[in-house]
Amino acid sequence: MISRTKDSAQGYRPNQMQKNTPDHSLMPPCQAACPLQMEIREYIDLIAQGRTMEAMQVIRSGNPFPSICAYVCTHPCEDACRRSQVDKPVAIRALKRFAVEFGGDRMVQAEAETTHPEKVAIIGSGPAGLACAYYLRRRGYPVTVFEAHSELGGMLRVGIPQYRLPRQVLDTEVQRLTQMGVEIRTNTRVVSLGLLFDLGYKAIFITIGAHQSLRIGIDGEEGPGVIDGATFLREVNLGFKPSLGERVAVVGGGNVAIDVARTAARLGARKVTILYRRTRAEMPANPEEIEQALEEGIEIQYLVTPTRITRENSHLSVTCVKMELGEPDSSGRRRPVPVQGSDFSIKFDTLIAAIGQAPQAPGDFHVRIGKGSTIQVDPATLTTNRAGVFAGGDAVTGPATVTEALAAGRLAASRIDDYLQHRYPLPTREGRESLVGDLSPETIETIRKIGRFEPQILPPETRAKDFGVVECVYDWQAAVEESRRCLRCGMGAEILFQDKCASCLTCLRVCPYHVPYLDTIGTVRIPVDQCQACGVCVAECPARAIVLRKPYDRRQITEELNHTLKSAAESNLKPFIIGFCCQYGLFGTGTLASLWRKTGAGIWIVPVLCVAKVEADHILNAFEKGAEGVFIAGCGEQCARENTTEWVQQRVEKVRKTLKEVGLEPERLQAFTMKNANEDIALQMEKFSERIGNLYLASIIMQEVKK
Amino acid sequence: MIVAQQKPLEETRRMLAPYERVLILGCGTCMTVCDAGGEREVSYLHSALRVAQAKGGNGTHTFAEYTVKRQCDREFLEPLADRVKDIDAVLSLGCGIGVQALAERFPDMPVLPGVNTSFMGMAKEWGVWDERCAACGDCRLEDTAGICPITRCAKGILNGPCAGTKNGKCEANKDMDCAWVLIYKRLERLQQLDKMRRYYPPRNFRAIPRPKRIVSKASLNAGGGNG
Repeated sequence: MISRTKDSAQGYRPNQMQKNTPDHSLMPPCQAACPLQMEIREYIDLIAQGRTMEAMQVIRSGNPFPSICAYVCTHPCEDACRRSQVDKPVAIRALKRFAVEFGGDRMVQAEAETTHPEKVAIIGSGPAGLACAYYLRRRGYPVTVFEAHSELGGMLRVGIPQYRLPRQVLDTEVQRLTQMGVEIRTNTRVVSLGLLFDLGYKAIFITIGAHQSLRIGIDGEEGPGVIDGATFLREVNLGFKPSLGERVAVVGGGNVAIDVARTAARLGARKVTILYRRTRAEMPANPEEIEQALEEGIEIQYLVTPTRITRENSHLSVTCVKMELGEPDSSGRRRPVPVQGSDFSIKFDTLIAAIGQAPQAPGDFHVRIGKGSTIQVDPATLTTNRAGVFAGGDAVTGPATVTEALAAGRLAASRIDDYLQHRYPLPTREGRESLVGDLSPETIETIRKIGRFEPQILPPETRAKDFGVVECVYDWQAAVEESRRCLRCGMGAEILFQDKCASCLTCLRVCPYHVPYLDTIGTVRIPVDQCQACGVCVAECPARAIVLRKPYDRRQITEELNHTLKSAAESNLKPFIIGFCCQYGLFGTGTLASLWRKTGAGIWIVPVLCVAKVEADHILNAFEKGAEGVFIAGCGEQCARENTTEWVQQRVEKVRKTLKEVGLEPERLQAFTMKNANEDIALQMEKFSERIGNLYLASIIMQEVKK
Repeated sequence: MIVAQQKPLEETRRMLAPYERVLILGCGTCMTVCDAGGEREVSYLHSALRVAQAKGGNGTHTFAEYTVKRQCDREFLEPLADRVKDIDAVLSLGCGIGVQALAERFPDMPVLPGVNTSFMGMAKEWGVWDERCAACGDCRLEDTAGICPITRCAKGILNGPCAGTKNGKCEANKDMDCAWVLIYKRLERLQQLDKMRRYYPPRNFRAIPRPKRIVSKASLNAGGGNG
């Protein structure tokens, strides 16, 4: 049997969307790359529809501190984004910042109830500690956070400069934790775990970070004028103003080195020079940050390493040696080798060493320490060698990213919960198939190229003066346009009912991206790694065998139509007009709302995610349910997809023919193309509803005459 | 593949007029491929009939819809056995064969054709179908380089082209290729132009017994022998 049955006598309409229609979509590469596995595709899609508040909710459901990530995330998602194979990756982090700023994040009130008696102590209030506190509190545990410094935040507070993460953002997130009832003990350095257990804590999470700077190990390193990067940033971030002098050298090539250099420049150092022993290509720092540092006048000397520091009248004379790149080392980067006899010396007032950091766990913790002074844990359970003691974050991994620390905190919370409830640790997330594979050259060629909209950056001469945030947030339009670049990986079409497929090859013929193909045994295949989820084949399949993996197709439209009809039934405004309107961009209901208010007609909007998915059947259904007129408004040239207008025209013509056959005027059905800032559409809309109004009046008169 | 076209709505409605409860029955094979009676078209026709009823109002029909994999084999029709008890007529969107198979399977049920079965052919591109075979039962495609003059020549002549060919097009329709020019060009490519010089006697139109039947199984009657 290949078909569902429907009996209209019982009011059961065809293809009614089943409750809980399954989402068969594959996990997109961005989500798979995210340490927190955030539902990036979903919130980007919501931003593209202008549904920023909902986007914010999606973000919040996967991230305890989205506003922090919105500023400082190293966005591995963007590195995985398949849009980069077409042009440039979607600016996911900047879009998240837009959602955080405009999605009402500040209104979110976190609340939690205590449902468990077991107290948990968290040592360290960095991202891992705060995330763990957040999730444990949500699970109902009393939580105490111990912080050695005067303020919460760990590296977020003492490591990351304010121009990258404004302190109000951090304060807001910390405040929420306090509101949730997390007990905060600042200025409290924990020296012994036994003492905490004695105080009644049943589990401890060590997340002390990696604050100990590594030494360069050269003569003259100890003494005035030389400071390490972590200490320097900590002092500046806690409000001190170290005196640096005029000329500052920064040794190292990581993000900390860049942060140190840019901070030094902002403190008034006249000349800041970064000494790095490899070349720019090997620099581990974020390329954008390097670029911004250079713009701010910071000099980077590559292939240089200091060998000796001597002091002359409170100045430093740093002897350096030139390097060249040799064989690759264990990290895969080419090892720098000193060039014989290339010594030279430079004068500085201060030298800041930022060549790496390591954790430093107090010996009295009695936890097993592994390579690089990190705490050894079981990676799946985050348990240490001591019962009830868990560890995570930089203290375990060595210096890593904020997002990784948040993920560790979240994992720790669920593992501590398992431990306290005497449960075998369960997988945190059901395994979902991820999308793998690159776009083929043929697909790439057919995808419309749309350049990435970079968020504005303050000009270097303005930004380098103070600690204000460097990057501006998107405006509404830029955010919507940028989010529309998403390729919706993993959401594509699938032949759900293979037994219904008549192998008619319609999908092969209509696909704008030439994705479906016939395999060697004559079965139609739609490879999910190439499909762009435009939905044209879904609407055109004569056997209705194809659906989108996420029900963004006829099922969604049918549901929305029924919903709209239900609401419309309560209104008496005449004439009754239904409009299928694209929800993407600024061209959906938002713009339309301002247009139809003038007309005075009962215009009801069925929101659709691309008008190419509206089927002839949907249009007829609207007429059947009493619509006097129907229009379809697509975004036209703004569309990120191909030929949507043509497909709308095809279906409009088909329905018009049928309307004529049943004795209705074909002009009751219109297709509009919304264009940005175009007055025409308003006029067209007005004319359309006027015409429908006249037809309605005429029909009333005819009825009266008949009587 | 069999190609058909849905009947005009008006005609369909006229046919349906006497019947109250109607099952619209699609076919999942040829009629799906040629876009005349697959599940989507069944649903569309259903909607169209309901709109017509809402606007015009001749009678109060109730409709049900269903699609089987193939209407031309009775085994596929078995799931309908229960359903036909509650209906007054079947509107079949199958080809003429499907309609007859239904009539044969459900002797007490009126079966109405919803499509005009048009020809045997293939898709030229999306949404365009061309006739290719007339099922004449006497295939000469070997002589005509795989291009059938019976279906593709307006006159169906076996010894073409006629004098009406002009610039490779047919005098009956200036947009239509002359089948015999196509045949000539392809025979030229195949270096078989000698076939153009041959005379082909007229086909035997006289005694084609209808309905035709083909028996491919061997007769196993007693004494019949099977080798």
